[in-house]
Amino acid sequence: MLLEVRDLHVEFVTRDGVAKAVNGVSYAVGEGETLAVLGESGSGKSVTAQAVMGILDTPPGRIGAGEILFQGRDLLKLKEEERRRIRGARMAMIFQDALSALNPVLSVGDQLGEMFVVHRGMSKKDARARAVELMDRVRIPGAAQRVRDYPHQFSGGMRQRIMIAMALALEPALVIADEPTTALDVTVQAQVMDLLAELQREFHMGLILITHDLGVVADVADRIAVMYAGRIVESAPVHDIYKAPAHPYTRGLLDSIPRLDQKGQELYAIKGLPPNLMNIPPGCAFNPRCPMAQDVCRTDEPPLYEVDRHRGSACHFWRDCVNG
Amino acid sequence: MPEQPFEPGRAIAGTGAGGAMDLATTEAETLERSPGGPLGTGPADRPRSLWSDAWRDLRRNPVFVVSALVILFLVVISLWPSLIASGSPLQCDLAKAQEGSQPGAPFGYDGQGCNVYTRTVYGARTSVTVGVCATLGVALLGSVLGGLAGFFGGFWDSILSRITDVFFAIPVVLGGLVLLSVVTSNTVWPVIGFMVLLGWPQISRIARGSVITAKQNDYVQAARALGASHSRILLRHIAPNAVAPVIVVATIALGTFIALEATLSYLGVGLKPPSVSWGIDISAASPYIRNAPHALLWPSGALALTVLAFIMLGDAVRDALDPKLR
Repeated sequence: MLLEVRDLHVEFVTRDGVAKAVNGVSYAVGEGETLAVLGESGSGKSVTAQAVMGILDTPPGRIGAGEILFQGRDLLKLKEEERRRIRGARMAMIFQDALSALNPVLSVGDQLGEMFVVHRGMSKKDARARAVELMDRVRIPGAAQRVRDYPHQFSGGMRQRIMIAMALALEPALVIADEPTTALDVTVQAQVMDLLAELQREFHMGLILITHDLGVVADVADRIAVMYAGRIVESAPVHDIYKAPAHPYTRGLLDSIPRLDQKGQELYAIKGLPPNLMNIPPGCAFNPRCPMAQDVCRTDEPPLYEVDRHRGSACHFWRDCVNG
Repeated sequence: MPEQPFEPGRAIAGTGAGGAMDLATTEAETLERSPGGPLGTGPADRPRSLWSDAWRDLRRNPVFVVSALVILFLVVISLWPSLIASGSPLQCDLAKAQEGSQPGAPFGYDGQGCNVYTRTVYGARTSVTVGVCATLGVALLGSVLGGLAGFFGGFWDSILSRITDVFFAIPVVLGGLVLLSVVTSNTVWPVIGFMVLLGWPQISRIARGSVITAKQNDYVQAARALGASHSRILLRHIAPNAVAPVIVVATIALGTFIALEATLSYLGVGLKPPSVSWGIDISAASPYIRNAPHALLWPSGALALTVLAFIMLGDAVRDALDPKLR
């Protein structure tokens, strides 16, 4: 396995109390594999990714327990300097909003070239030449002329492609894309996803795709991990989930996708709100919103039951769920 | 080329890449751009940054132009005072004491028979030296300490914040009277040192605040995620985005440092004769305000004009660097 997260706990210490953002997440990504991490805002998907990258703000963040094994080494036991060498070179991250993730006062060429200066010790001139190559690679028209332009002079889609170029500059083994298409137009979303998928195949890298867009997931992901209140509630190969979800929350997510054949009808929505992370309900965190909830759900926290060899569900009644 | 209407200056670049570009991409880019682009205002093709925008604003601002010209003039005469004043500011003739305006002495003579015009011109050097050096010192010390504290936070940040609180509690004039009265050297350096000592906490607070703001930007986290070191993040990604407020406050502080030097010299703890300073002249002339008001008015006027010029410059720079005022 390229990356294995085991029983990761992350909490944030705030004035009002301790917010438990990640409560025992485990997932794994192999080389060339795409794992989609799905969940609504506040489910802990981005925090897990930040912990893996090592860019969690500490304080207020705190990694309570767990292991993050990357190419066989536990990242949490490495020194900061060693982790820094891994970041960017062997694992990289693509951010949601490229306009705010690119420095407004530096030209894109400087920022792309920075990767080669920091990790490869290249001269500025060589780094710039590589920056042009990268921009060509992500199909920025007229790369050689535009390398001196500033981020705001590019369109949203081009900026996101520059972000991708930065992340893939040193051909990392693992890329984490945190909602890479959320800030883009629908037409451009498809282009950016295609580019990402194409480059992933080319470099044979592992990809963690954090998203709340089920449409994007179906096309590119191999596996899906659904997160709720800082836990993985279902983990399965992508087609199994679409065929028969094994957790009521996953079912709710799938039912709330707008569909063309149901035009004019009311769109399904999961009732209620995600739990307050400072006060997660006892038992299954989803029980107040779950249509299938029984007494046991309010008292016993469900473990990740094995549905089959490739599949897990954290629901006491996963059998009922799979069978509809 | 569909891109041409939006980016006229890129026509050559666009045509060159046209063959390699697939049609779908081109169309999508056009769609994205057509509602005016991401930052739809203004001509899209000129490289624009905070600094180039600010410079464009400044050049059109009459307040900036006037104050900059005054400051330029001051700098020139403090470097080469003999350009416009002949003779030495220390050449005094008691026989001419308190005489009024006359050829060779357009501002008249003071109580010691010194040429007020010559002394006023030579006094600019002291003021400009003190103002510029104290500001540089304060800006360097304050932004380094404040910047580091804001970036790393934690224990040292708390310590620094308490230290700045202590310095804020020291009254400047009283502090000057106490500290500078024990200094025997009659140069500008003890005065500058004192100003840096008392002035850095103000800049440090501002630098700390703006570094904390800049630190929270996504691009700082992105730089971390791509493996940039602390020093690289601080110098390349945070500093250029956090320096504007420091520049603004430092420019305004420059004027107040010049006034403070005059105040301290007036009180007899700054520079002392035979040094030439507007503060010394104002102090020496004030007893004779009834008989020879000109000896008081000219150095006071020069001081007021200089301080005003720097404060106006600071105001103009602040307006130009604040995008919200645009």
